[in-house]
Amino acid sequence: MPLADALSFHPALATAAAEPTEDAAALRRLAEWCRRYSPWTAPDGTDGVRVEITGSAHLWGGETALAADLAARLDRRHLASRIAIADTVGAAWAMARFAEGKSLVILPSGDCRAALSPLPVEALRLDPATAQGLRRVGLKRVGDLAAMPRDALTRRFGEMVARRLDQAQGDLPEPLSPLGEAPTRRVRLSFAEPIADPADLMRATERLVEDLVPRLAREGIGARRLDLAFHRIDGRVEQIRLGTARPSRDPRHLAALFKERLDTVDPGLGIEDVILAVFAVEPLSAEQIGFPGHPTSCETSGIAPLLDRLGNRLGLAALSRLEPRASHIPERASVLVPVGSAHSRTPVAQAPDKPPRPIRLFEPQEAVEAFWLLPDDPPFRFTWRRRRHRVTRADGPERIADEWWRPEGCGTVDAIRDYYRVEDEEGRRFWLFRSGFHGGNQPPRWFVHGVFS
Amino acid sequence: MVEERACLPELRERIRRIERPTLAVHGVLPFGVDEIDRVLPGGGLTQGALHEILGVGGDEEDGALAAAFAAGILGRLAGTGEGTVLWCLSRPDLYGPGLAAHGLDPARLVLVRAPRDSEILWAMEEGLRATGIAAVVGEVGALTAVASRRLQLAAERSGITAFLLRRWRDGGQAMRERNLPNAAVTRWRIAALPSQPPPIPSPASGGGNGWGTGVGRPRWRVELLRCRGGEPACWEVEEADATGHVSLAAALADRPAAPVSAEGFRRAG
Repeated sequence: MPLADALSFHPALATAAAEPTEDAAALRRLAEWCRRYSPWTAPDGTDGVRVEITGSAHLWGGETALAADLAARLDRRHLASRIAIADTVGAAWAMARFAEGKSLVILPSGDCRAALSPLPVEALRLDPATAQGLRRVGLKRVGDLAAMPRDALTRRFGEMVARRLDQAQGDLPEPLSPLGEAPTRRVRLSFAEPIADPADLMRATERLVEDLVPRLAREGIGARRLDLAFHRIDGRVEQIRLGTARPSRDPRHLAALFKERLDTVDPGLGIEDVILAVFAVEPLSAEQIGFPGHPTSCETSGIAPLLDRLGNRLGLAALSRLEPRASHIPERASVLVPVGSAHSRTPVAQAPDKPPRPIRLFEPQEAVEAFWLLPDDPPFRFTWRRRRHRVTRADGPERIADEWWRPEGCGTVDAIRDYYRVEDEEGRRFWLFRSGFHGGNQPPRWFVHGVFS
Repeated sequence: MVEERACLPELRERIRRIERPTLAVHGVLPFGVDEIDRVLPGGGLTQGALHEILGVGGDEEDGALAAAFAAGILGRLAGTGEGTVLWCLSRPDLYGPGLAAHGLDPARLVLVRAPRDSEILWAMEEGLRATGIAAVVGEVGALTAVASRRLQLAAERSGITAFLLRRWRDGGQAMRERNLPNAAVTRWRIAALPSQPPPIPSPASGGGNGWGTGVGRPRWRVELLRCRGGEPACWEVEEADATGHVSLAAALADRPAAPVSAEGFRRAG
């Protein structure tokens, strides 16, 4: 019905513009907030949130208490809600939307079939056209469908009807994907009174880390990725995500990492829940952790805290090592590898009589304007970065051909480079190379690849 | 006169103890070249302190010689090869084989890339407070006196030696920053000198065209512009070899290095 018609029927009608994107974002926030009940939550369609509470209901004193707590909290935020707890996603979906007169339904285990049968067929999450078709042939209730022969149903209405029915009744599994990644370990701290003081947040963080560490220690693992979520009373969730360079379960170290980022958390009017979740773990043997107050003898564990501190401010990608590789292409002979990766301690054989290599290598090489006399000569003058250099001494050429056995290296422009080590009048020494031949398709070009000391 | 000279370091040490009684002495790292070590207080480069290294001309932007000079010292700093060197820079153009040629094993390096000077300084300071670090190097453009003071204090406290390689974006920044005072214990300036031609020209050096011979062994002019408790000086050396040692250039090895007056250097800037 157009808005103008509706207003003519009822002039006092309150209207609001539809904002599907905003609604979706709000629903997502609500799903995040629901993580206080379980790590596994996801928005469901446009009007619902699924929460997998298997194994977490007992923390709230049972399903009834959990549902009551959820309803009360939603009510306090002026959100009208219908809540259903059932064995299957399909049954919970149906009960939440189609249960007559009740806004809170808890189906005891095994009651799906009986509870579903009086509901209309729309409760099976069917598209409107299919539901309409079912109604037209007189199948109005889920119970009517259950009695029908399956092959006839499938022939007439497609396989979706039978599948939804089986999923709702628990005869077929239903794969689900949660919102984001489900953590492997999780600890939670709730407050009767919301907290907002930075010192309190810090203490809460320390408490959570202390709770988590013994669990990690029991299992012989260390955390690589962690997420600390602060649930505000207005329903927003503030998060701190951390990565560590090496698996860690040192409580002081982990707490220090979080503390550095605590000032990015806006507590708003107060925080009622703090949840620390671990997403990635790696085996960590017991001896790597030192005694408090004693410097550790192991050199690698000594710098791990430093790398974590640097990595969490600058990004772990900012930390790297130089690793030699067996390649005669200069830029492939020494590569940057992430600092967390395992050392490949394979000795790389270097030719003993290799000409000197520069101390700084520019990647990519920088093109220069060069002048030279004979085809195989180094340039006598070149201009690089708007500075003109007159060459007084030169060594070369050292010809470096591309590694033809690599697929990506084949047929590139610099397939063959002639390197020259040149010295200008000031005594600065450069590594120049010429790419291309005289008489080739393109005139030769010159590049500065590095500077010598 | 000779005796007076001899007791000067002792007096300096006593004054230092009065000024900063809590400060531990972290020792010195000699260069192994008498002419250089004689000028430096304590007979070598102070460990657990901040040292600043500058380039000249275009090298102020590339920082090649400063990196090579630092690499030579770093290679010897932990002679046993233990301990990680934290090298903070904005543009990761260090080349492993080149570092190895100056005595620094690239496997000991951890490179920290940060786009801004302030982040590099922060990373250096974190490194100076950490354990398991042998030395910290930072390639810094803009540097405030306060930032250098913080680094110097952190280095003194932990005993980790820190090197500031000054690497400027362009000539304008170099002009502004070059002469600003800071808290570094020493300030070095390394310039490239035309290399000595090798005694026998190499056949591949384009010799037939009459414009030069092959590149010889590189030589540097090493200037000590500022040194707490020491005199400015200047030497011509041959570049650090694979053991990280520099040596006096052959032509100068026979005569003593002429100490240059401090005023002269301040004017030259």
